[in-house]
Amino acid sequence: MQIFFQTLIGGVSLGAVYALVALGFSLVYRTMGLVNFSHGNVVMIGAYMASTFYLTAKLPFALATVIAMAVTGLIGVIIERVLRPLENKDFDLMLIGTIGFGIVLEALATLVWGATGRAVPSPVPAAPLDLFGIKVRTYDLVVLAIAAAATALLMLFLQRTKRGAAMQAVAMDHEAATAVGIHVGRSNAIAFVLGAALAALAGSLVGPLLYVSPTMGGTLGIKGFAGAILGGFGSIPGAIAGGIAIGVLDSFAAGHFQGYSELVTFLVFTILIVIRPTGIFGERTVNRA
Amino acid sequence: MSRTSLSRTLWSRFAVTAAAALLAVAGCSAPGADKDSTGKNSSGPIKIAIIDAQSGQLSSLGAWELKGAKLAVEEWNKAGGISGRQIQLDVFDDQGDPTVGTNLARKIASEGYIAMIGTAESAVTIAMAPILQQNQIPNIASGQSPGMVALKSPFLFLNGPTSTTYDETLAKYIVETKGVKNIAMITNNGSYGKGEHDAFTKALAARSITPVADQVVTTDQKDFSAALTTIRQKNPQIIFLGAEEVESGLIVKQARDLGITATFAGAAPQGTPVFRDTAGVTAVEGTLVSTPYMSNDLNDKTKAFAAAYKAAYNEDAELHGAKAYDGAQILLNALKSSNVATGKALADAIRATKRDGLLGSFAYDGTGVGIFATTIGTITGGKLVPAS
Repeated sequence: MQIFFQTLIGGVSLGAVYALVALGFSLVYRTMGLVNFSHGNVVMIGAYMASTFYLTAKLPFALATVIAMAVTGLIGVIIERVLRPLENKDFDLMLIGTIGFGIVLEALATLVWGATGRAVPSPVPAAPLDLFGIKVRTYDLVVLAIAAAATALLMLFLQRTKRGAAMQAVAMDHEAATAVGIHVGRSNAIAFVLGAALAALAGSLVGPLLYVSPTMGGTLGIKGFAGAILGGFGSIPGAIAGGIAIGVLDSFAAGHFQGYSELVTFLVFTILIVIRPTGIFGERTVNRA
Repeated sequence: MSRTSLSRTLWSRFAVTAAAALLAVAGCSAPGADKDSTGKNSSGPIKIAIIDAQSGQLSSLGAWELKGAKLAVEEWNKAGGISGRQIQLDVFDDQGDPTVGTNLARKIASEGYIAMIGTAESAVTIAMAPILQQNQIPNIASGQSPGMVALKSPFLFLNGPTSTTYDETLAKYIVETKGVKNIAMITNNGSYGKGEHDAFTKALAARSITPVADQVVTTDQKDFSAALTTIRQKNPQIIFLGAEEVESGLIVKQARDLGITATFAGAAPQGTPVFRDTAGVTAVEGTLVSTPYMSNDLNDKTKAFAAAYKAAYNEDAELHGAKAYDGAQILLNALKSSNVATGKALADAIRATKRDGLLGSFAYDGTGVGIFATTIGTITGGKLVPAS
């Protein structure tokens, strides 16, 4: 029983990070119908930015995270700006473009920070809480709280503000949205900026949990993407549920199948997708393109 | 266009693009860049390739190895080279990927490199070995997997001991010197981890000990709650680690968070700064490390090496740099003694080379291993010191 709960907790805390990554994937997809394959690498850039401001510039962790989100958001603007001429022309090229951007970002990180990577000490040094023999890291609770807050803020923005409503409109039907005077390009840019900022948030939170290196985006990107698909691609609550589900699935697979856990995780994922191709919250998935 | 057919076209186009890119990479071995490319000619610089991960997860190994080898080559070049010829050391990035490695093996063969240093990843070395053997290019590798020895290639040499030596020494210390029998294991299923798992299990079995827990994780795993909770329930005194630097660091960090106070024990990766920094200095306190290179202050030779290393790169030398330095010295000495031979003659010259190096005394046997001893150290205050 102890193993069960400890595994669950381990899975949920890493799942919260996957959920943040999945949110970024879904936000860009629902607005533009585009899978941003550079998203995992943007997470990595965010992790480097945050760790640089935290370790080198000695800023408080929270401030370092906010700055990292701003800088990384700017990278989002650049990616969208470069790809904008392709929107409505050649969608495939746009997708390949995001893959290209991912490779560029990884190479840039290697140039700037070197290939070795760095360890980030936990900003919350308190000892883990002990609940009936089950250890809960205080930092994991911080990660969960921040992920929940970020989701709530994003939902508020999308549902309660004019700009958010405009983005929803573009997501539903971008031609109709253009007809009523919504600037589709700007809406796309906001989606990219928010997606990149979420990536930076995920990256800075995952830094102290794992190890920051130019290649860290690979695994996080794939798991986050799988989470987004599992939850229902394009759905905001789906991204959260899917991300956490992938984290938990991964942890339990690791416990039961040891060396074959990766295989089992994605086998289960495939079966779930075959049974329910639209994901958990699939019926709300926006279909564009 | 509907979503399914769109994504299908997308993926097929993506596949075509990827295939084209691969072809381009494979084909671009710089046509005409090297006029004497077939020539293992006897004038001009002596061409030696160093192949290691310069990008990707294992790039810290590649970076250390390059620094060590470069130091040795620069030393020889400053002293006038070999037979009046300078040594040209060219770096290739295998990305820690066996497929890239095999491509590079063909590339260096076609471009007239007479010897190769690296790689630090056993899996890549094993993938490259048949091609290097076919082209008669001697290779001084830095991995430690017994799998490399099993290939029985007369052109493959190791610049350090194999896992068998590391783990035999470690098991002997733990079981016989310390009298600990309550031992758990956590290893990964990669080439290194698998080698460690088998070598340590064998060393324990020889002392009629079965580990109380034997957990296997993947090389990509990030959360070890399940494996570590299982280990915690067995309450071992010592936990053996068979995983690379970063993963080992994460395992130790998470183990301490889960309230595991047992001592960790391992081999080469556990002696590195990357392991220490990933886990945190307090978390790794007391970790037992089986290593052929205890510290930079061991003797005059290691002190001189560490000083030169510090002067060249402004960082402290460690095991992998020292191994690569020894390996490169052995190769260069063999080149000198054989008067810049190539192919089989060079391999024979390497096999005949004796060196009193940083790691100890090298004398190669028929298997390509030249050194068979490690010592046990403990991490104390973030530094590796000889164990009592």
